[in-house]
Amino acid sequence: MNRETRAAWALAAPALVLMGLILILPVGIAGLLSFTDYSLGNPGFNWVGFDNYEKLFTRSTYEKMFIATFTYVVTVVPLSVALGLGAALLINSMGRIGEIYKTIYFLPVMATLLAMAIAWEFMLHPTIGMVNRWLEAGCGTLIEQLWPWFATSCADGFPVWLGDKRYAIWIVAFIGIWQGFGFNMVLYLAGLTAVHRELYNAAEMDGAKSGWERFRLVTWPALGPTTVFVVTISCIRAFQVFDTVESFFPQNGGPGKSAYVMMFAIYQKGVQQNLIGIGSAITVMFLIFVMFMTLIQRWLVERKVHYA
Amino acid sequence: MAGLKIDHVTKNFAETEVLKGVSLDVADGEFVSLVGPSGCGKSTLLRIIAGLEEPTSGDIRLGDKSVARVRAADRNLSMVFQSYALYPHLSVAENIAVPLKLRKLSAAQRAPILGRFMPGAKGALAEIGVAIENAAEMLDILPLLNRKPGHLSGGQRQRVALARALVRDPAAFLLDEPLSNLDAKLRVQTRVEIAQLHRQLRATFIYVTHDQVEAMTMSDRIAVMMSGEILQCASPAEIYENPNDLRVAEFIGSPKINVLPVAQSEHGLTLLGQPLGLTAERAVTTIALRPEALCLAGSAATLTGTVAHTENLGAEIFAQIAVAGLDTPIVLRAEPQDRPRLSLGALVGLSFDPAAALLFDAKGKRVRGAPIPARTLEGVL
Repeated sequence: MNRETRAAWALAAPALVLMGLILILPVGIAGLLSFTDYSLGNPGFNWVGFDNYEKLFTRSTYEKMFIATFTYVVTVVPLSVALGLGAALLINSMGRIGEIYKTIYFLPVMATLLAMAIAWEFMLHPTIGMVNRWLEAGCGTLIEQLWPWFATSCADGFPVWLGDKRYAIWIVAFIGIWQGFGFNMVLYLAGLTAVHRELYNAAEMDGAKSGWERFRLVTWPALGPTTVFVVTISCIRAFQVFDTVESFFPQNGGPGKSAYVMMFAIYQKGVQQNLIGIGSAITVMFLIFVMFMTLIQRWLVERKVHYA
Repeated sequence: MAGLKIDHVTKNFAETEVLKGVSLDVADGEFVSLVGPSGCGKSTLLRIIAGLEEPTSGDIRLGDKSVARVRAADRNLSMVFQSYALYPHLSVAENIAVPLKLRKLSAAQRAPILGRFMPGAKGALAEIGVAIENAAEMLDILPLLNRKPGHLSGGQRQRVALARALVRDPAAFLLDEPLSNLDAKLRVQTRVEIAQLHRQLRATFIYVTHDQVEAMTMSDRIAVMMSGEILQCASPAEIYENPNDLRVAEFIGSPKINVLPVAQSEHGLTLLGQPLGLTAERAVTTIALRPEALCLAGSAATLTGTVAHTENLGAEIFAQIAVAGLDTPIVLRAEPQDRPRLSLGALVGLSFDPAAALLFDAKGKRVRGAPIPARTLEGVL
């Protein structure tokens, strides 16, 4: 090794050591522990092979965990991305007032989700919550005739939103969208500033008359890199959903475990019940999903959105 | 193809008056350059012609129709932008196809994936394919058709932008400083090519530039714009030899024209106290002389000064002569054989033919002068 190479390694060493210690080592340990029955405080552990993973794919609790997680991701990601893009385009097309909207839409992102969850819990309370009170105010009007669900609800009472396994995960997803789309909007607003203004002029000269055509020809391709980033970030954030579930359903992850998302399962198994082995196995699954998302982003999409 | 008439167009941005009533007639097939320093409103005028900007007042007529209320997409004009404005995600062929697809295909035929299966789409796409090939061939970019703009050089992008403009048959071409992002060598080459393209297409070209050389070399007519007005619109030769405004004379020509203060006396105009043998119909405060109107002179020199700087271009030499009493040195164009006389600091005499001097009044307007008959001068000299 010559001097220069040695110096390079020496300079990179602190970063490499830190990366190994605080990023790679814990992941490795979690991977190892997922093959054991270790519990914190136990003097030793047994190797159990793939038992923990077998449980993940056979027990109904974990089936519910996967269903809840994917329902959440598949709902929240497209909707929060689409709403973020829509809001960004609208705000971008207006002048001063846009700033006000920007601030309003960004408020939920800045607020603590735990505190917001409590506020939502009050609003969604089956009897005193404002959501059901408003809905009740609609009883006896035209809506009842047009919407069968509304009519049934007027007769039998409106849903116990958070206590009903048909609704619980959707409420969690709704709050996820409400909280997350402002962030996507800000990312898209930043992306929009990079769109070359002259391209819109060129599109007009080329005969693109409708806003949709301009969007397809100029805006959407220019936002490609932003969209890849926004979708990836949204996916990872969606997989990580925890605080809403924890504050709504601290005991068991929702009625009939309908909102038993992965992060909550890791917390419950690994921390509350001290089942480190199974907790680690879920963690590894979680990491695989996130890694998979990232690889899709890198291999499939990124090549198509960077044009130079 | 059609002629174009710009009729008293004004444009205000908030308080600022960018165009102050511009009128210009462009004949069918003519190449007209709008030239002027930055901020003179030439680009704004082009954007108003294109329909990308609305005039505050005035009218634009294409052929015999007013298009002032017609949106840009419906005016059937092509524009080449300074930045080329190519769609980065589309290949060269797709870029050139955009104006045709947007005009010749219905919305359903343009739909992604399914569009090509719509009735009539196949024939239309084949037609477009042929048009793309023709345009690409004309601009010599056939090998680039499958590349993305990001992988092209500046000159190649410029050609693609031109191809996109000429692939359909527009009423006129609008070019907004298309050469300003090219290096000097390529600029000279592309200049020639654009001029040839114009001859080949016989189309109306309106060309915006701040570079007077481009305007001089390519145009049928040049419109010199300054502070929101067209000062003069005439052929390059007329603009150069017969400017009607001092600002035009100063803007056109490189090196810049020499501007010298003159005084009026009973014996006609005098320069630094020397009679020039010229009279004018009105009060004259300055005369302007092209560097080539001056020549080195011996004892009969009108002006004498010392050589302050020389630029040898091989075929010609430009010398700056510092003359006592003048703030700026006089630029002289000399032949290579004069080089020995033009060593730095050397004392030289300059003379010129009074008939070649351009006369201007205090407002910079041109004044026609007349030589004083030799007989009357005899007593003076």
